[in-house]
Formats: sequence, structure tokens, C-alpha cells
Amino acid sequence: MKLENRGLQALESRVIRKDLCTSCGACLSLCPYLQFWRGRLVKLDDCDLVEGRCFAHCPRTQVRLEAIHQEVFGQKYFNVEIGLFKQIKIVRASSPDLREKGQTSGVVSALMQFALREGFIHGAVLTHRTPDHLPRGRVIRSHDQILSCAGSSYVAGPTLQALNQGPWEDTERIGVVGTPCQVLAMRKMRLSPLKRNALTERVTLIVGLFCTWTLTYQPFMSYLKTRVNGARIRKMDITPPPERLLKVITGDDRIWDVPVDEIRPFIRKTCGICLDMTSELSDLSVGTVEGVQGWNTVMTRSDLGEEILSLAEAAGIVESQPLPEENFKHLKEASLLKKRRALLTLKERGELEDGYITLSHGLIERILSEAKEAGS
Amino acid sequence: MSILSEDSPGKKMLFMGNEAIARGAIEAGVQVCAAYPGNPSSEIIGSLSQVAGELGFYVEWSVNEKVALEVATAASFAGLRGLTAMKQNGLNVASDFLFNLNLSGSKGGLVVVVCDDPSALSSTNEEDSRPYAKMCDLPLLEPSSVQEAMEMTRWAFDLSEALGLPCLIRSVTRLSHARGNAELGRLPKNRPSPHFDTSCPIIPQPVMVTHKTLHDKMKKCQDRFEDSAFNLYRGPERPELLVVTCGVGWMYTLEALANMGVEDRTGILKLGTTWPLPESFLIQHLKKANRILFVEEVDPFLENNIKAFCAERAAELGVKIFLGKASGILPDIGEINPDVITGALQTLLRVSYEPRPLQYAQEATEAVSLFAPIRELGFCAGCPHRATYWSLKNALTMDGRDGVVLGDIGCYTLGVRPAGFAQVKTCHAMGSGAGLANGFGQLERFGLDQPVLTVCGDSTFYHAAIPALVNARYNRSNFLMLILDNSATAMTGFQPHPGTGRTAMNDEAPAVDVEALCKALGARVQVKDPFDVQDTTETVYELLQDREGIKVLILKQECALVRAKRQKVLHKVRVDQEQCIGQACGCNRRCTRIFKCPGLAWDPATGKAQIDDAICTGCGVCADICPQSAILKETL
Repeated sequence: MKLENRGLQALESRVIRKDLCTSCGACLSLCPYLQFWRGRLVKLDDCDLVEGRCFAHCPRTQVRLEAIHQEVFGQKYFNVEIGLFKQIKIVRASSPDLREKGQTSGVVSALMQFALREGFIHGAVLTHRTPDHLPRGRVIRSHDQILSCAGSSYVAGPTLQALNQGPWEDTERIGVVGTPCQVLAMRKMRLSPLKRNALTERVTLIVGLFCTWTLTYQPFMSYLKTRVNGARIRKMDITPPPERLLKVITGDDRIWDVPVDEIRPFIRKTCGICLDMTSELSDLSVGTVEGVQGWNTVMTRSDLGEEILSLAEAAGIVESQPLPEENFKHLKEASLLKKRRALLTLKERGELEDGYITLSHGLIERILSEAKEAGS
Repeated sequence: MSILSEDSPGKKMLFMGNEAIARGAIEAGVQVCAAYPGNPSSEIIGSLSQVAGELGFYVEWSVNEKVALEVATAASFAGLRGLTAMKQNGLNVASDFLFNLNLSGSKGGLVVVVCDDPSALSSTNEEDSRPYAKMCDLPLLEPSSVQEAMEMTRWAFDLSEALGLPCLIRSVTRLSHARGNAELGRLPKNRPSPHFDTSCPIIPQPVMVTHKTLHDKMKKCQDRFEDSAFNLYRGPERPELLVVTCGVGWMYTLEALANMGVEDRTGILKLGTTWPLPESFLIQHLKKANRILFVEEVDPFLENNIKAFCAERAAELGVKIFLGKASGILPDIGEINPDVITGALQTLLRVSYEPRPLQYAQEATEAVSLFAPIRELGFCAGCPHRATYWSLKNALTMDGRDGVVLGDIGCYTLGVRPAGFAQVKTCHAMGSGAGLANGFGQLERFGLDQPVLTVCGDSTFYHAAIPALVNARYNRSNFLMLILDNSATAMTGFQPHPGTGRTAMNDEAPAVDVEALCKALGARVQVKDPFDVQDTTETVYELLQDREGIKVLILKQECALVRAKRQKVLHKVRVDQEQCIGQACGCNRRCTRIFKCPGLAWDPATGKAQIDDAICTGCGVCADICPQSAILKETL
């Protein structure tokens, strides 16, 4: 009997060719045949191995979500809205300087600096942007390097390539800030029987970001370039609802307003089958809060996530307030809506049972029915 | 001392067919020899260049075959003897001049040797050059042996001079590259001085007059052919079958008849002067049999011409049965050999002859397959073309727009095969990659969204790509040309060319600067080292993003074989056996499975890669592609 391929051949036919690559970077720098180039995963040559880490790590190859959840948190997956959490509140960095330089509230920068300072981690993998707005992973070992990675990106980048690449000392504990797909990939890396070193064991802290979608780099950037008459794009930012504008700042300090609906065609296809808005498998998740400027929603999920937030609060590094009930409700609705859309898309593609994500029948039914109620 | 300059008349010496042609030209007093290299003709000018200084004649490698013919013709116009030699494709290039030269005529003896390559052993096409003689109305000689190659060449100069026409000699691979004994003639003592008689212009006009003169000359030529010693009949007075043959067919037929023991039943009419036909000679011998078998490589040239002749002279000759390529008894493509002829004779003479047991070939193949692996045509160890195609492959994959690579003629033609990662998608004539790129570069207006690239060797660039680049500039075409500059005409035997700084006679020469030339043509030009695969890949990628005009990337790195003659390895390369992870995930034999330089060897016993020190030239490219940094290069 021919063995079913679980290597690059399968990755190519089931992920790359179907345009489902998330650009998380989990397969990169492990394999000479895969390269990330200008926002795109490129397969350079064929590889005939029956099993490969590229396929095993990929967040878009089969995911037994309930099994992973059980493995990570030692508990069943029961909170279908936003995943398991211990606390949810709104948080911001205490330092006005960090709030100024970081995205929104500076909380991610503050917590990572704190985790480094207190020795929870020795190094971190964050995402910075090249001058042409391509996100790239960066290994950070000191407190003051963290701000070089502050700010949001609307295109996906291979952050985890930097994790694979290192270089790391043998005993270093590592913290990673990533999107939901990157968090999922890291959990898969940890559980994969193919790992050849203890690197993933040392990923101690995973801070997950909220994410609704990302854009496809090349067409988005070339559209934007024409939109701003070819000017050099210096910075971009999306304002929260109800405004929902992409503010593009060009080299001449001019600000261009691009309605978000205008850039929706560039949303990656793979985002349409993503079930996770709030990085449910992270130690601690951070996202925006609608209508509350300068604060972020923070959810602690693991004991470590809880410990770091509490200590940081106690040390006056961050300050918090309760999440308003209305916002909590909105968050759950939005998260469920993303799940429902993804499930329906997966169903349509016939990939729900044996495709990328594997959920029990009961769980699927629950998500669909709760999302319906939340939506109504 | 070279056999070409050996001054021992009457002595028999072993010559390669091409050397015999060269020696024949020397004995005829040739003073100017010019050619562009092309297998299987290259050794003619190659060997002449070795003795030119010593014997006091002039030899050059010309930029292409048309220029070569013109250079040799200039000697003829000035009253000297000139020779040019080329492969079949070369005659196509030279033919434009040839189709005017036939009308204007020549003065000093002028010989055009064309070496055909039946079965395309080292060519992109299979072409029988002989119809050119008929089309141009020029005399054609076809030697059947090394001795004859020498004698015919010598005679061709006299014939050319007597007729005032260039004379064609057609050889094929199995004569040009075979060796045999030939008897030396005398080396020339006196050579004439050149002078062009300006009172007598040499022009094809008035064409109605010169064309008629040409036909008269050919009639004279035919008369001379009637009693040529190069034509002969061997066999019984009334054979059951008459084999009409020429060139290598003569020896093959002799061998087949002798093996089968049917010499007393079969006649052989061997022709050495194959155009114009020696008609009286033919009449005399065609009468001998009613069944005529034509044996020749490649096209039915004699077959068709003699059939037409027989039709014309049917009253004298009667009804004949013609056998050959048209009847299907002999193949109409490829080389022939004694076995093929034996097969036809068995049927025609109803003789059963088994040269070897029927299963022999199959058993031999099976036996060999136990020891000899199937080998793909490949680049040499350390060949810069492999590195170039590696970078090209990666750049095109990264680009992702399904770029089209238009190929050209040279070692790098192997880019169509796995050796070049199958990157090249077309390959036709010299310079045609650049020409096709011109056209593809105009198709964007109709929606072609694939980037257009062409690869071109340095020698090919000088030969035929420059006009295409001029055209591209003028007509605003858009493509990327990669000039694979390995500082040699590598495929044909490392002949020097206008960029190498040396002439055929090993004199210093000013090198024609490709970079400056391309810049002067308005191209965006970059020069890179193909051994730096990262830099080359990124440069190709960047140039592909430029959708305006012509981009030229010169990839400069000397041919590994040329360098090896001069210098030892560039780096000492070794594989750290601890670091090599072999087939494991993370490598899976990238060096021996994908890159496949023959300097790398896979050891199935240890599951690790190794360097084959005997052939590694130390280019170090494999060290850069090893994902584990297990391949180490030390600069020597």
C-alpha cells in the first residue's frame, strides 16, 4: 500500500496550491525547498519525503483541535466562543512613553519587556516590518529592542521563521508574540513527533494577538501604491469602527484615507477558513477593544499567562480595568461569527471532516447554533 | 611536430578525417583558412591553426560562418587559395553569400567544407547539406575514406580554380571523426602574392548573364567528373542488384557484402562527385542491373537525382526498380551502418545472414545495465552553467509568473534537460533565443503576462545575437538576456573567440567588450559571478521586475575545463560527515538529488554526501546550497 504523503508533496497539493498558506513561517528555515519571498511562500524544488516538518507544523494541515486543547491546557475544549480563559480585562502600559510608541496601549511591549526583565524568558521572537512593509520575525534579547517591533501589520509575515532560525543558546527560554495561526503552528510544533531538537520545548511564553484577517502582500501593496500616486508609504493604520479607515501616511507626511471595504478584496483566502479570532491556544491573548481608545483587551489563558499579568500589574508595569459587559458580548459575537463563516466555508469545500480542521460533530453543531443565536 | 607539416611525400600516416582534409588543403597551397567552430567540423581549422605559423599561412576563427566564407573568398578574389569549414547549420548561415558567390564566381581555389551530423550526435538538427550544391549550382564532392578526404580536398582547389567556382566538400561525422591511413603528398613550395584586379569587378550582375555562365561552368564541371577517379564501379558485369552509394556508404556496403558473401551477386557504383552527376559514367553502369539500391546519409539526394536522370534517359536505360529511402527498405532518417545495409540486402537478395544471435543486443543491454547506471546528459563538475540555471530556476520560482526562457546553442543548451533543471523551453539556431525574445517581448500588448528571458553563450552572442539586441533596442522589445560568459567556445572544444583576447593562431587580440557593447546598445547591464548563487538569483529576480526595455545580465565565470587546464581547484571542498543529515527532513539530499554536480557523490552505506576529489574543481557552489552548512570550502 502506498503511504499517504505527509511531507512537502502534501503541503504543496493541500495548502500551497489551494492558496491556504498563512505565511506563519513555521515551515521556513527548516527546509531548503521552501522560501518566503515578497509576501509569498515559494516552493523551490520537489521533496519526496513521506513525512516532513513542513506538513506537520503547518496550521493549515490537519488540526485535531480538541486533542491539542487537551494537551495544552489539560482540559476539554468547551468555551466555543473565545476559548478557555482565566481573566478578561482591559489593560494598558503604565508608561506613557510605551503607550505612545507601541500599538494602541503598549501592553504587549510592556508585558514582553517585563517577562524578559523578570527572567520568564531570555529571548523573544517578535515581528517587525521592513521598509517595504513586509513583516519579518526578529529575535530580541534586550528590553530596548522590543519597541522596534511595536505596531500592527495588516499583511501576514513569517514570524516563526525567526524562531526556527535562532540562533538560540541551549538553555534559553523563548517568548513569542504571534497571530492565531502562528500560535496554532507553535502548538503543533510542540506536539509533532518529528522535532529534532528541544527548541519548541523552550518556547515558554506565547502571547497571541487577536486577528480577523490579513492581506495578501503583493497585490495589496501594488494597489496601495497606485492609490497614493506612487508615493513612498511610510506608515499605515486602521482606525476602529465605526470609522474603519486605513490611514496611509506617505513620505511627504500626507495622510490618505482608504475605506477598509476597498481593501477587502486583498484579504487572504486562507483567513476565510480560520476559526480563531482570539488566539485561543496562547498563554495570554491581546486585542483591541471597540470604542475604548488606548486600551487593549487581555485574556489570560494559562497559569503562566495569569502569573505574568498579575505580577506586571503588581509591579505597576501595566494597569487594568474590567472589560465592559457590552464589549465582552461583542467580542464573543464577533469571534463566533468568524467561526461560523469558517465552518460554512470548510463545509462548502468538503474539508470539514478530513481537511484542515478536525472537530467533533457535536462541537461543530454547537458553534453553528451558538453563532446563529449570537448573530440574531 | 604535427602530421600536418610532415614533409615526407609518399609516407602513410594515421589521420583523423578532418586532419586529412586540412592536410589536403595545405598540400594544395591554401593561404587563408577561416571558420566558426561547429561539430563535427571543428578539427579542420583547429588543426590548421596549429601549423599555420610554421607553414606560413593564415588561419582565423571568424565570428560566424558567413564571415568565415567571406574571409576565405577574399583570398580567392585576390588570387590566393582559401578554405572554410563548417557544420551543416553553418552552411545555412553562410548561404546568403554563397547564393551570390555562385553567380559572381571566384578566382583562386576556394573550397567550402561542410561536415554534416547525421543522427544529430552533436547538433540541434539533422540536415543534409548536399541540396545546397544543386540549389547554388556548385560542384560537390563526397569523400568515402580518409585517404580520399585528403586527395579530394587537394583536387577541389584545382577544380575550383579551373571552373572559377567555389567547390563544396561534404563530410559526415563518421568520416570527419574516424581515423585511417593516408599517403602524404608534397608540401607546396611557392605561393602566389595577392592582388585584386580592380579592372575586373567580381559581382553577380548582370544576373541573366552570370546565371547562364554558371550553368556553362557546371556543364564543364560535369565533363571533368565523367572520368574522375573518385567514381568507380566494383562487382560482376551483370549483378542482381546495383548499389549506388557515396560517402561513408561505400565502406559500409563493402563490409556488408563481404560479411554476407554476396560480392559476386552485387555491384557497387561508388560516386565521389555527386553534383553535377557524371551522366555518361552513370549510363554506362546503370545499364548493368534493373534493381538499384541507393545507400546514402541522410536524405535521398543521389536517389532522387538519379531517378530523375533515369526518367530522362528511360529510352536508353529501360525500366528500373528503385530501392532505398522512398521504398522504405532503408531508413529515411539518421546514420546508416553496415547492419542497416545488411538488413536491406537480406531482403533483396533473399539471403539469411545473422551477424550475431538475435538476442545478442538485448542480452548485452541487460548485462550492461547491471553495472552501468542510466546517465543523463549533464554539465561537468564545477560548470558555471549549473550554478546559473540553479539561480535562474530559483529566481523564476520566486517570481512566480511562469517566465519563459528561450534557449540558444552551446553547452548551456542542456538547460532544456534535467542538468539545467529543465529551465530552457526553446532551442533552435545560433542567436535564435535573442530573436525569439524580441518577438515575445512584443506580446505584452496582447496580454502576455509571463516574463521573457533568453540565455546566450559568449561565443553565440558574437555570432548572431547582436543584431537581435539592436532590433530589441530599436523596436522597444522587453526581455532579460543572460549572457553566460565562460570565456570559451566550450562545446566545440574551447576555441578562442572575440572576447578571449587570443586568436586562432594564438596571437594576442583586443577582447571585444560585451558589457560595453550591450551598454552602447542601450541595455541595462549588470555583471555578476554565477558562483554567487544568492546574488545571481536576486539580480535575476530584480531585473525581471523591470518591465521596460532590454536587460542584460552577464554571468562571468570561466569554463571549468578551461580553468582546470591552467589552474588547480579553486577551493578545497569537503563534507563534514557529522553535520551532513543526508536524507533526513531538512535536507533530503539537496546536493546529490537536486543540484547534482557530478563532483558530489552519495554514499548509501553511510547515508551521507561526499566530494569526489578526482573531479571536483572546487567552485564551492555546493557549500552555499547545503542547508546544514555541512559542505565546507577552504580557499587555497
